[in-house]
Amino acid sequence: MKKIRLSKIFFWLLLVGMTFIYMGPFLFSLSISLNAEQDVFQWPIKLIPQKWTFKNYIQIWEDLPFGRWLTNSLIISIIQTISNVFFSSLAGFAFARLRFPGRNFFFSLFMASLMIPGIILLIPKFIVLNEFHLINTYSGIILPGLVSVVNIFLMKQFFETIPKALEEAALIDGCSYFKIYWKIFLPISKPALAAVAIYTFQGSWNEFMWTVIVTTTSDMFTLPVGMNFLKNEFLVNWPLLMAGTILISLPTLVIFIVFQRYFVQGVGTSGLKE
Amino acid sequence: MKKGLSDRQKQTRSGYLFLIFPIIIFGIFTIFPMFFALFISFYDWNLLIPDKPFVGLANYIELFQDEVFLIATKNTIIYALGVVPVQTILSLFLAFLMNQKLPGRGFFRLAFYLPAVTASVVTSTIFIWIYSKPGLLNYLLSLAGINGTDWLTNPNTALLSIMALNVWSTSGYFMITFLAGLQNIPASVYEAAKIDGASAWTQFWKITFPLVRPVTYFVVVLSLIGCFQVFDQVFIMSQGGPVNSTTTMSFFVYINSFKYFRLGYGAASAIILAMIIYFVTVVQKRYFPPEPY
Amino acid sequence: MKHLIICIPLIIVLALSSCMQGEKPMRISSWVSSPAETKMFRNTLDSFTIAHPEIVFDFEPIPGNYSEKLQLMLGTNTGPDLFFLKGYLAPSYISFDILEPINYYIEADSSINLDDFFPPLLDAFNKDGIQYGLPKDFAPYVLFYNKAMFKEAQLDSMPKNWEELEYFAQQLTKDKDNDGKTDQFGLVIEPSTEMLMPFVYQNEGSFQSADGKLGITDPSFIEALEFYYGLYQKGLATIPTDVGQGWNGDTFGREQAAMCFSGGWLIPFLKLSYPDVDWGVAPLPMGKTKATVAFTTAFAMPKSSKFKNDAWQMMNYLTGPKGMKIWTQQGLALPSRKSVAEKNGFYDDPVYSVFMESAEYASTLQVEISERGFEEISVALQAIFFTGKKPLEAMENIKPRIEKYSLR
Repeated sequence: MKKIRLSKIFFWLLLVGMTFIYMGPFLFSLSISLNAEQDVFQWPIKLIPQKWTFKNYIQIWEDLPFGRWLTNSLIISIIQTISNVFFSSLAGFAFARLRFPGRNFFFSLFMASLMIPGIILLIPKFIVLNEFHLINTYSGIILPGLVSVVNIFLMKQFFETIPKALEEAALIDGCSYFKIYWKIFLPISKPALAAVAIYTFQGSWNEFMWTVIVTTTSDMFTLPVGMNFLKNEFLVNWPLLMAGTILISLPTLVIFIVFQRYFVQGVGTSGLKE
Repeated sequence: MKKGLSDRQKQTRSGYLFLIFPIIIFGIFTIFPMFFALFISFYDWNLLIPDKPFVGLANYIELFQDEVFLIATKNTIIYALGVVPVQTILSLFLAFLMNQKLPGRGFFRLAFYLPAVTASVVTSTIFIWIYSKPGLLNYLLSLAGINGTDWLTNPNTALLSIMALNVWSTSGYFMITFLAGLQNIPASVYEAAKIDGASAWTQFWKITFPLVRPVTYFVVVLSLIGCFQVFDQVFIMSQGGPVNSTTTMSFFVYINSFKYFRLGYGAASAIILAMIIYFVTVVQKRYFPPEPY
Repeated sequence: MKHLIICIPLIIVLALSSCMQGEKPMRISSWVSSPAETKMFRNTLDSFTIAHPEIVFDFEPIPGNYSEKLQLMLGTNTGPDLFFLKGYLAPSYISFDILEPINYYIEADSSINLDDFFPPLLDAFNKDGIQYGLPKDFAPYVLFYNKAMFKEAQLDSMPKNWEELEYFAQQLTKDKDNDGKTDQFGLVIEPSTEMLMPFVYQNEGSFQSADGKLGITDPSFIEALEFYYGLYQKGLATIPTDVGQGWNGDTFGREQAAMCFSGGWLIPFLKLSYPDVDWGVAPLPMGKTKATVAFTTAFAMPKSSKFKNDAWQMMNYLTGPKGMKIWTQQGLALPSRKSVAEKNGFYDDPVYSVFMESAEYASTLQVEISERGFEEISVALQAIFFTGKKPLEAMENIKPRIEKYSLR
């Protein structure tokens, strides 16, 4: 028993060490963002600033279209999240519970598409949206991400675990399938819906490549794309940049802390059922 | 039943109604583009020139003579071969540590997962600073008496630096995947091993590792697909430079399509990339299947 | 009827995204090089609004990779109606046939007086007699030097030729705290084609001759490149990334280097960001001949614009005597009209006279190769600077590839 306890202490110390590697960069960027001095490239590096200030956080709102980018990010993420939760659960319900010709065909088609690397779709998606003059519009950014196969799969897997007995009574009462989905399945699926919502929001909040390609003017940028272009400017103002990175990370961080268990559940389900 | 529809008709009607929206979106943004990508790869498709002539296999032939494309392919393969094993082993190891029921697990999980939920632009920006000549990494090295380089502008270290960032930022995600797998292993298996006097190390190799094999397979597939398509970090941190040392295939697709506007050429390179990814996953399934038979 | 609920989110999506857009007025775009430049350009636009209050417009600066984004915008019908066009990219834009020819507008307006423009600047945007834009300004490379450092090194003249430049750089390179690392370099240079070209021209070489032949492997080009790289190799010059900076202006401003080559855009930047640095300007040292590179920028409008008349009005004002005077007297760039240069008193000013003098023998960088070709040269330069590749070898390697990207 003593041997095991020793190894546990060793493991724990190892975890603490790893924590520094994983958290360190964030803590340093927080420290730089609060640094009152412009010159962060001092040698030796001061890990803790001598003078503290919140002025970088204020300056970001005043000097940059940060509010506009935030609004764009929110609009896009929220629409995509709502749409994904609704349509993937609806489609998941159809695949899990309804029998109809073509069901297996469509399901296999959806699943097979997971094998297609996203990069190959990039150019044609762009050309299609350009034909409809949707480049640099909200629709152009949002449309391709309104529903995702992974989410449909996740919801189907979840619905299949719900006992048939639940809906049979309702069917005898003559309820429509939509009502069964809406009144019976949705209320008891909160963990799965939450997992879909959290993943979609996080993915859409952090999305970079697609937004870089479909947005051409700064009034359509989302926070990540805006931050990247800010970085490209002549003045590499590190305290300001770091304040921006901290602000962008906050929503996903808060969501993660609050909904930690759904995250773990979601990864677990998608990982094991493959 | 009301309206005289049979249950079967009702199911069919509802089924298609529920699926119609995903099918439309899916058709426009996945199925059609897939074939369209192949189509335009046979054309000289310039965004700015209305005339788009058919060129047959010319784009593909040019690709194999394009030195930058060959460098990009080489870089991408190095990237995947370097990142995937390190990332998989590290995240399995982290999950193993986390599964030891040690105090403060919630906090550790948060710490390891934080980089994975953070936007790539955020982690990349922070690492530009860490990797710069007067940056944090060189500072830590200087404490050990080592004189570091400018990691991102040195062609010998730039790709390696981005690979390290990728391992750091995504290992937390795969750790959670592994952790879920580990938690499915019944405690009784370990109890039995303990009675036999097996050390934690033996337990890991004899019990944990074989039992999480399906999860490992899944992690390796995801990680491979991700690595072959790495873009954000390259775009943000190095733009493919210096001296093309960080130009990956995805970045090559991007610059040819959206910087030089040769969409046909870009599509051809994307198709080759897709074929490589497909080939790699088939090889993996053939030689490292999820379940040993 | 319940199924209607399915449509509600869809309707919300479409409604939201369409009503957020709305009609936009005429748009004008510039790049973002420094906050100072953007502010000055805003001032100039304000003067346009006073002169033409009836023309409503939005000013949309494009941060980041300007040319890349601009072409993408033009290709996707989201382009601005009037924009900055760099002289050396004009051939590429013209070959894409996306620019509106302005001969018609010029002929319709007798007050323009094209003779007032410096001819090479106008020619940079002309192909086969068709004019695609009017130059708003230009900026030749000159030598900026740190007065305090020169004084400390007891240098009281300016380097006149390549040998002197190297000697001066030697005197100005210092290891102040004796830790074996240089803290002050004689010079800061960038591994870029633009900054190398003055030396090539001084050595009577060229990038591309008038008949389209590439000169990048000629002895005159290679000699200049070897001298330029030699300054770095010998530790007399640094490059910005080596000292943790993004561009040479910051390196010079932070007094990590005593000399740098730059156009007028450095002046407002230094005044704003590094007001304590005491600097001066001098003509570039000469090689076999006197030469420098001048950058010019024009206003141009796309064929697809819906506001061509308004855009022309604006272009005409900003490149006209009045608008150009307001823009150039802020000190960022030199006027492309002779009359405005005189009115601004640039020929008498101690700083600007150096620029005007350099303008006499400056060449505009005109290359007829596509952007990818131009970038491959920069990659080759990086290979020389970062991996120590031999200049001749690097250029010979790359020459056949660049030829492929020729626009002829």
